Amino acid sequence: MSTANDVPLLSLRGLGKRFGAVEALVDVDLDVYAHEVVALVGDNGAGKSTVAKMISGVLTPDTGLIEIDGETVTIPTPIAAHALGIATVFQELALADNLDVTSNLFLGRELHRGRVRDDETMEQIARKVLRDLNSRIPSVKSPLSTLSKGQRQSVAIARTLIGRPRIVVLDEPTAALSVSQTAEVLTHIERLRDLGLGVVLISHNMNDVRAVSDRIIVLRHGRNNGEFDAATVSHEAILAAITGAPPTRELDPTAFLPTPH
Amino acid sequence: MTTDLNPAPAAPPGAQARVPLGQRMAGLGGNARQYGIFGALVVIVLLFQVLTDGKLLLANNVAALFQQNAYVMILAIGMVMVIVAGHIDLSVGSVVAFVGGIVAVSMRDMGLPWLVAVLLGLAVGGVVGAWQGYWVAYVGIPAFIVTLAGMLIFRGLALVIVGETVAGLPSQFIAISKGSLPNFLGYANNMDVVTILIGVLAIGAIVVSQVRARRSLRKHELYVEPVGLFATKLALVAIGIGVLTVILSFSAGGTPTVLVIVGVLIVAYTFLMGRTVFGRHIYAIGGNRLAASLSGVDTRRVDFWIFVNMGVLAGAAAIVTTARAGAAIASAGQNFELDAIAACFIGGAAVTGGIGRISGAIVGALIMGVLNMGLSILSVDPSWQMAIKGLVLLFAVAFDLINKRRAGTR
Repeated sequence: MSTANDVPLLSLRGLGKRFGAVEALVDVDLDVYAHEVVALVGDNGAGKSTVAKMISGVLTPDTGLIEIDGETVTIPTPIAAHALGIATVFQELALADNLDVTSNLFLGRELHRGRVRDDETMEQIARKVLRDLNSRIPSVKSPLSTLSKGQRQSVAIARTLIGRPRIVVLDEPTAALSVSQTAEVLTHIERLRDLGLGVVLISHNMNDVRAVSDRIIVLRHGRNNGEFDAATVSHEAILAAITGAPPTRELDPTAFLPTPH
Repeated sequence: MTTDLNPAPAAPPGAQARVPLGQRMAGLGGNARQYGIFGALVVIVLLFQVLTDGKLLLANNVAALFQQNAYVMILAIGMVMVIVAGHIDLSVGSVVAFVGGIVAVSMRDMGLPWLVAVLLGLAVGGVVGAWQGYWVAYVGIPAFIVTLAGMLIFRGLALVIVGETVAGLPSQFIAISKGSLPNFLGYANNMDVVTILIGVLAIGAIVVSQVRARRSLRKHELYVEPVGLFATKLALVAIGIGVLTVILSFSAGGTPTVLVIVGVLIVAYTFLMGRTVFGRHIYAIGGNRLAASLSGVDTRRVDFWIFVNMGVLAGAAAIVTTARAGAAIASAGQNFELDAIAACFIGGAAVTGGIGRISGAIVGALIMGVLNMGLSILSVDPSWQMAIKGLVLLFAVAFDLINKRRAGTR
């Protein structure tokens, strides 16, 4: 897909990762531009979450390069990723139930004057960020334990906006959400794009992917297995790339019959 | 750390005040439980006041209540931080005996001035805490195991150091626990003026700081509690401190020195837990350790310092205990860890971590202390006292849990 800016915000080149005898990723490429949602899809174990963890500094690649604005970077820790402007919503929600919304938004990067937390400024920013997302969190002082799953996902996404990131990685953000909650999260993702961020959306829900993404990149057995324009691609073509079946335009009824000798 | 985001433009007035009632009650949940614990303390005090024909709140008994229970309150402050972070410390009783032995020996046999010995005791406590914190935080051994080992290690070392009783300690040292503030301002109507002054200053400081905090919230257009609730709370606190002040001012010595020490610790640690980044990280680790570490909290560093802090406070408790006994004995501090842990749980701390407050732990310690004193005045057999305290602990936590469950299924 063409964008105004030729240099991708984030660019993965030939990433490889091995866990013991298992080749989790082999030579994976991925580009993300600003104002763009790139969906990373694939079957279970295709390597989607491994890619997410490399971008967010939880795992380091064995081979290959990660470039930001065309410059090669290393991302050894989540803190380093954050410093590079990469924010991640992990599949296992990285939120603390016992803390309120503001505390969760700023967890690990609290504002402070001297040794004292600047709770007031944090609350004001929290309210602004939630407004930017059009989120329906009742109060920034609500403890997370009182929120619904969808609201918690909103908080997790709002968290990525603290500290003004440029790239947001979302690992299965709609898993285990109800239909209306999913719709709300998808709206948030569109808001992230409107705010000019580059978004990597990892999912195996084709409806969600087709609803919000601009480009779809398929992984299969840890390798790139196709790239599609989300506006034009057919559901079947994506499924075929995911499962590795030959792309069939229509179902061939004879395919399921025993082959005559 | 700073962020690029500009502070929000002023929201329309009242925007934040439009919180649905259910949400408001939920937000109050944590506080409501806190009020419940205070209420329980008041009820128990009144109950024993009646049962003992008014002996419980005699001036000298109230002063003794603080002198007898200072060690529990000091230990409970450190313990609630340990418990909030999701750990436990079983070693504090043994550490009290160990540090107490070192402090006593350093004064009697090595001739250290009492103040130097006190500082030495705090430092040794810190080293013990660093030792245990290292194994918990950097090796990853569960705190239960590390401090169970510590319980044996430091009890053994206490026996080695103290042998038999180490007595004959300087009178200034003993005054830490047995003494009171000098009443150099004389008496008015038999009331110690120094005590009255401290009480008035305490009430004034609380009112001013609360009103200021509220005004600041207002200025930033953040949610403030209704003015009625706010005023009632402040009035109750002021009355509580006022009554306590008047009673203490009639006591033989006025304000016990340990009460001042404990008071300063309560204020300092409430601030640490409530207003600093470190305090927030302790709660975050207890709430979701993985989330905290993925968010960039250095969980090992926090764990380490929690145990160092517990060690220093155990050192302080050792000083108070040794001074009160007037001697170091190897069997000192037995079951102190259980007293401190019980105080935390009665005070609303969660076994799973993430929840608990300094004020709760202090009130928990006072509930246990009032029970002790009340039952003793009634000459209840010590064996029965123990059984009753056990039941109170069980019911307090059960009550808490049932309430929480009901709130959860609402």
